[in-house]
Amino acid sequence: MAKAVTQSILVVGGGMTGLSAAIEAAEAGHEVFLVEKNPYLGGRVAQLHHYFPKLCPPSCGLEINFRRIKNNPRLHIFTMAEVEKVSGQEGNWDVSIKVTPRYVNEKCTGCNKCSEACAMEIDNPFNYGMDKIKAAYLPHDMAFPMRYVLDPALVKSPEAQKVKDACPYGAIDLDMAPATLDLKVGAIIWATGWKPYDASKLDTYGFGQYPNVITNVMMERLAAYNGPTQGKILRPSDGKEPQTIGFIQCAGSRDENHLPFCSTICCLASMKQATYVREQYPDAKVIIFFIDIRAMDRLEDFYQKVKEDQNVQFFKGKVAKIEQDEATKGLILRVEDTTSMTLHEVPVDLVVLATGMQPNTSETQIPAAVQYDDYGFVASLAPRPGIFAAGCTRTPLAVSESVQDGTAAALKAIQSVLRR
Amino acid sequence: MSNKVDPNLMKELSEFGLKDAYKCYHCGNCTAVCPLSTPENQFPRKFVRYMQLGQRDKILTSPEPWLCYYCGTCSDVCPRGAEPGETMMVARRWLTSQYDWTGFARKFYTSEKFEIMAITVVAVLVGIGLLIFNTGNPNWDHAHLNSVWPSDKIELADLGMAAILSFLLLSNVFRCYKVVMGDMATKIPLRVYGSQLKELIIHVLTQKRFGKCEDRMQWFVHLMIMTGYSSVFLLVVVLINGLTFENLKFQRDLPEYALWHPIRLVGYYATFAIMYGTTYAIIGRLRKSKSVYKYSHPTDWMFLILLQLTTMTGIFIHFTRLLDWPFPTYALYVIHMMVAVPMLVLEVPFAKWAHLAYRPFVIFLLKVKEQYAKEQAAVKVPSVALAD
Repeated sequence: MAKAVTQSILVVGGGMTGLSAAIEAAEAGHEVFLVEKNPYLGGRVAQLHHYFPKLCPPSCGLEINFRRIKNNPRLHIFTMAEVEKVSGQEGNWDVSIKVTPRYVNEKCTGCNKCSEACAMEIDNPFNYGMDKIKAAYLPHDMAFPMRYVLDPALVKSPEAQKVKDACPYGAIDLDMAPATLDLKVGAIIWATGWKPYDASKLDTYGFGQYPNVITNVMMERLAAYNGPTQGKILRPSDGKEPQTIGFIQCAGSRDENHLPFCSTICCLASMKQATYVREQYPDAKVIIFFIDIRAMDRLEDFYQKVKEDQNVQFFKGKVAKIEQDEATKGLILRVEDTTSMTLHEVPVDLVVLATGMQPNTSETQIPAAVQYDDYGFVASLAPRPGIFAAGCTRTPLAVSESVQDGTAAALKAIQSVLRR
Repeated sequence: MSNKVDPNLMKELSEFGLKDAYKCYHCGNCTAVCPLSTPENQFPRKFVRYMQLGQRDKILTSPEPWLCYYCGTCSDVCPRGAEPGETMMVARRWLTSQYDWTGFARKFYTSEKFEIMAITVVAVLVGIGLLIFNTGNPNWDHAHLNSVWPSDKIELADLGMAAILSFLLLSNVFRCYKVVMGDMATKIPLRVYGSQLKELIIHVLTQKRFGKCEDRMQWFVHLMIMTGYSSVFLLVVVLINGLTFENLKFQRDLPEYALWHPIRLVGYYATFAIMYGTTYAIIGRLRKSKSVYKYSHPTDWMFLILLQLTTMTGIFIHFTRLLDWPFPTYALYVIHMMVAVPMLVLEVPFAKWAHLAYRPFVIFLLKVKEQYAKEQAAVKVPSVALAD
């Protein structure tokens, strides 16, 4: 066996899985490089309102991890960065990383002066485009690293100089160019996670066409205090409080025409979101349209608890079609109640599509040969010596399971670099 | 009421072409997406369920398979690839065999060999019949069909065939009536049936329900085949001898009708319509271009092939007559009959063609039931008022 040239570890993806893996490996004494595509760490978890199992806001779990990162000199973070090339073998990988310019350097204090000076607005990616933000922006209010970003469109515009001049710290660098970094690492942990399945592909649901049809990830943003509505769940069409909310389970999941697998988390996510609604609106009615409820192990208790709520109805049947009432922008759901074999048209004010998890590796694969399953997930935790897949790169997981999986991958990576 | 469970039902239905119904996980998507499915008469998932549970009697007494036109939308959106549309088609095939008291339909659907054999036997009999029964004095100078097989004799044969066909089909329709209506059969007065006859005729002529399907092309193609077929039926059965009017005769020797003569125009329309419809369907089935064409049962092919062969030989005869070639005309006539007669005699009462009776008839029966229920409700309202 070849000797490990280096004992450093590369972690790709700064979501819950990648963060856990990187911190655990660094705290075990290894040099760790964490590469994240977004300008901030925390991934999908940062975009949640509350998460399982304790239903805490993401600020809680993430803050602890960010503190651990700050205290650890062995952990190096690259945001707005992607791995382009991987070559070599276990214990001796050559990796090149492409870093996209942020146009803001480490002198940034987060004073917001650049944003105030900026007039240009862009769709807010953090809120899934539900609102606008300034083109000189902090991705979200607890972004880590706490550093602003300039949109490339702003940098090209004549406004750029004005924004640069507004910075009292000289933190804006309009000439920042894309950079490539070459690293040598002993092991690689791939944790690029998932993205919500594109709901506009569900052509009978009218997502993108009917304003009051939203997805579950958008619902998280609506409920979050730092979301587009400051945490009030309101209808996108008129900003009114919805009286009846329909959740459509398996929207594009367990479906041969879309994602054929079960994402395992959407049932609980919808039930959790039903509690958001019920907390805000004591009279609102929630209908959850499901094929089968899949509440894994301990979460059965949560299902039982939600079921006890008189205003939450569980309706067995997959919604086939959504039609919009042009006058009220209300929605009519055509669905069969499969327990009674009866056909219904159910009117609701707001529809939440429980879309599933599509692995990012189904679109952007690891730049090294590994095995994938039929759906684009990496086929195993250790698909090849020295490369480890963790979290939703491997299989659909909830947050706490992602932490476990990230830690497991860290241990595997450590074993890989030490055993040589 | 007890429900008898037939554990072998799925197996039996697989002989009628059932394939993927076992994959169904009962989400109800198909029933809810179907534009024809209504709260009163909903399908197709119900039938997948009945089949999986071996509920033979429930399927037998259900009208819904005849309300489905197989546009394929349900199969397109099915998350499991369980082919609910094809399942409804299988239900129709099975029902056709159940309505039929002769047992012929069942053999027809479950054995390709039997189907081919039966058609060959009838074809040979027709061929021999035409060779034995003719005037014995054909006109070899001119292509005059009447000199070999006079139209009044053919008319007699037509009527004989129509009588047999009607007997077989109507006796099966009566059995369909009995199972679909159940104990309602004797309850509803004849007057109500009469009041809904208009619906029956409209449905036969326009198939307007089909127009509600998302894929309107299928409706159009079906309408072409249906109207083409009906026109031909009118020409060769009703007007073969012109109902004694010389200038309405379909089988007439020279002088040929003028090009714009209604008989010729109807003939041309029918030829075009059938060729268009069958060619579209054959290409679709070969290419499996949409859900409805994905699975082809031997009876589906047989129906299209016989219809197209009949039309093609008909076209050839038309030309050989116009060219005044006696021998080819007479020979083609025999072949034409050898294809057309088995198609009618076997397919109409026993196979795919039987739907031309069952479908509008079942829709009619539902209208009758609906009307009766309406009248009953109207009677009940005053009595409630009195009680108050």
